[in-house]
Amino acid sequence: MRLEKCWFCSSTIYPGHGIQFVRNDAKIFRFCRSKCHKNFKMKRNPRKVKWTKAYRKLHGKELNKDATFELERRRNRPERYDRNVVQNTIKALKRIEEIRLKREEKFWENRMKVKKDKRADLEELKQNIHLVKAPVALQEDPSLALPKKMEKVKVKVEMREAGETRAMEE
Amino acid sequence: MIQIQTYLDVADNSGARKLMCIRILGTGNQKYAATGNIIIAVVKEAIPNMFLKRSEVVRAVAACTRKGVKRCNGMFLGFDDNAAVIVNQEGNPKGTRIFGPVARELREYNFARIVSLAPEVL
Repeated sequence: MRLEKCWFCSSTIYPGHGIQFVRNDAKIFRFCRSKCHKNFKMKRNPRKVKWTKAYRKLHGKELNKDATFELERRRNRPERYDRNVVQNTIKALKRIEEIRLKREEKFWENRMKVKKDKRADLEELKQNIHLVKAPVALQEDPSLALPKKMEKVKVKVEMREAGETRAMEE
Repeated sequence: MIQIQTYLDVADNSGARKLMCIRILGTGNQKYAATGNIIIAVVKEAIPNMFLKRSEVVRAVAACTRKGVKRCNGMFLGFDDNAAVIVNQEGNPKGTRIFGPVARELREYNFARIVSLAPEVL
C-alpha cells in the first residue's frame, strides 16, 4: 500500500478514495476526490487554481523550498531490507514531520506579521477612542464617529470633558 | 461499460482502426462489457491492404474502458478511451503488436499473450 498524492491538489490519497486515470501514453493521474477529477477534465491548470498546494507554493503562500521535503521525494532505487535502517527511518519520519510543521507555522507567522500588527493597532484605537474623543461628544454628534479609513482622525477635545478626565486621574 | 453500438479503438496492428460492438458474449443477456469480456464487433474503419477489411465481423476483447475497473484495494482505474484487441476463436490476438496501456484484469481472463505483448500493463 502506498499513499499517493493527488495530482491536482496534492493532498494524500488514502486507500479506497479517489479515481486514477490512465492516459494513452500510460501516464497515471491520481485524484483524491471528484472535485479534483472534474477540474482536471475541465483542463484547468492546478498552478492557477487558488486552493491547490501547487498554486500556494508557486505564489509563496506556503513553505516550498526546505530540506524537510527531501524525505518525501520519490526514490526509484530499491533498498535492501535492513532492520536498523527501517527503525531509524521511522524515527526520522516522526521527527522530520515535527520540524516541517514548525517551519510551516513559522512561515505563516512571518507572512501574517505585517497585517497582524496593523490589526492590533486598529483594535487598540477602537477600544481606546475615548482617550482621543469623548464618548459624550460621539453620542451627541455621530458625525464625529470614527471613519472607516483610519488615515486622518479629527480630534475635538472640549474643555469640560478634559477637566473631568483630569479630575479622575487625580 | 461497452454496449451494442459502442465504437472501440483497436489496440493492435491487425489492420482495423475502429470497431463497433454488435454483441456481448457471456452468460445471460449481458448489457455491458467490461475489461476482459469478449465482444462481437464489426470493423467500421480499416487500414487499406491488410487482412481485415471494413464490415467484417470479428471477435474482440475489451482491453481498456473509460469507465474503468474497480480493484480490491479500492482503486478505480479508468483509461482514456475504449480499446479492444481483436482475437480469434481460441482467444489469441490476431495482430502481432499491441499499442497503448491495457488493464491487468486481462491476465485473470486468461489473455496472457495480450498481456505479454502490451507495452504497459496497469
